[in-house]
Amino acid sequence: MEQEEFERKAIEYIRGDIGEQERIAFEAYLEGNPKQKMELEGLMEVWSQTDKITTPEPSEQMDIRFFETLNAAVDKKEIKKSKGFNGLLSKFKFLWSPQFAYGIVLLGIGLSIGYFFNTDKINNQVDANIASNNEAKEVREKLVLTLLEQPSANKRLQGVSEANKFDKVDETVINALLQTLNKDSNVNVRLAAIESLTNYVDNPAVRQGLVQSIPNQESPIVQVTLANLMAALQEKKSVEPFKKLLQNQKLDTTVKKKIESTIQSII
Amino acid sequence: MQTLTDNALMLKVKSGDIQKLGLLYERHKKRLFGFFYNMNSDAALSEDLVQNVFMRILKYKHTFTGEGSFVAWMFSTARNVNYDYYKKSKKTNNEYQISSVEYKLDDGISMEESLMRNEELKNLKKAMHKMAPEKREILVLSKFKELKFSQIGEIIGCSEGAAKVKAHRALKELRTIYLQLESI
Repeated sequence: MEQEEFERKAIEYIRGDIGEQERIAFEAYLEGNPKQKMELEGLMEVWSQTDKITTPEPSEQMDIRFFETLNAAVDKKEIKKSKGFNGLLSKFKFLWSPQFAYGIVLLGIGLSIGYFFNTDKINNQVDANIASNNEAKEVREKLVLTLLEQPSANKRLQGVSEANKFDKVDETVINALLQTLNKDSNVNVRLAAIESLTNYVDNPAVRQGLVQSIPNQESPIVQVTLANLMAALQEKKSVEPFKKLLQNQKLDTTVKKKIESTIQSII
Repeated sequence: MQTLTDNALMLKVKSGDIQKLGLLYERHKKRLFGFFYNMNSDAALSEDLVQNVFMRILKYKHTFTGEGSFVAWMFSTARNVNYDYYKKSKKTNNEYQISSVEYKLDDGISMEESLMRNEELKNLKKAMHKMAPEKREILVLSKFKELKFSQIGEIIGCSEGAAKVKAHRALKELRTIYLQLESI
């Protein structure tokens, strides 16, 4: 065996890239060439030693920076697209003629025939798209959870605003938003969490969470926002927590009046 | 339910669905970070370079044809990013930071044995960083099991056979340097 051929085979052997028959043949060759066998054993030892060198995990900051940049790029693109679309529409006005409509009908027939013959392929593509959309949703949910845990209020606000972009959210994100509403030290973040949760008031867990958060609120503006929301939802379960809140001596007078009128409107 | 391949996702990015880059990032961030970290032993710098790779992918998305594999294309970009960084900062890629060496230790071994293993690993890492960057690079790439030699060849710009020979010689050189350090 020539030197270069030996080198190629040896690295395949070390990496485990070699097929069964080739491996047997190579091992038989090594038996007849003790010098090369010894060299290979030495290399295999160093190769396996390198497995013990560990690499640390990248930090969460890396993810945050990446998604911030990506979201900025997406936003920029959308603005450009909307401007571009209006411009394009005015340029192509002349196309709204009977000939164009006739062309569209023909195109529709063509597409229907194509669809009929390619249903399987389309279904596979749809499946793949659903899978990738689910994956994208998971990534975004992970981002929301990471952002909500950041020490900077700005980052947490960004997390809440990311949560607004979901059509449907899972329990983990809802719980994280409710926890933000109950425990976040920043009033603006709490208000943003209420606003975000308002998108999911059809979910009983969200309504219950909002009601349960009423006694936890000390900021007048958060109390008033919750009162407005409960009045709009006509949520009867909120009456008790509001009554409890009214017993608080330190309650702001304006808030007190607001809560009283809310209770009246719900009852 | 099937998941879109890397190439299909990258083609979507190319056609304007740039949100999909987030999925590619999630799939490959650790691997890329590992590549840079093994090249420079600097975690913060490696994170910056991972970011640069994805921003470059976004900028040059139109050049992705979908003919080769996305991973090979991504690592080619990573190589260029790494090269540009060292060219710009005029640093060498052989600066070895002893403080960042980490060791994996098995439980149940004696202190003496553990110190010996530490020493061996320290020398091995030192040996890696004494090698020329292009040799270290091919070794790091060869350690990624999911990369075939044909792809490694694509990344470093040579044939599959030449990539194998280069990897073999780099490993041989690593062993020579390592044994020299061990004998000191």
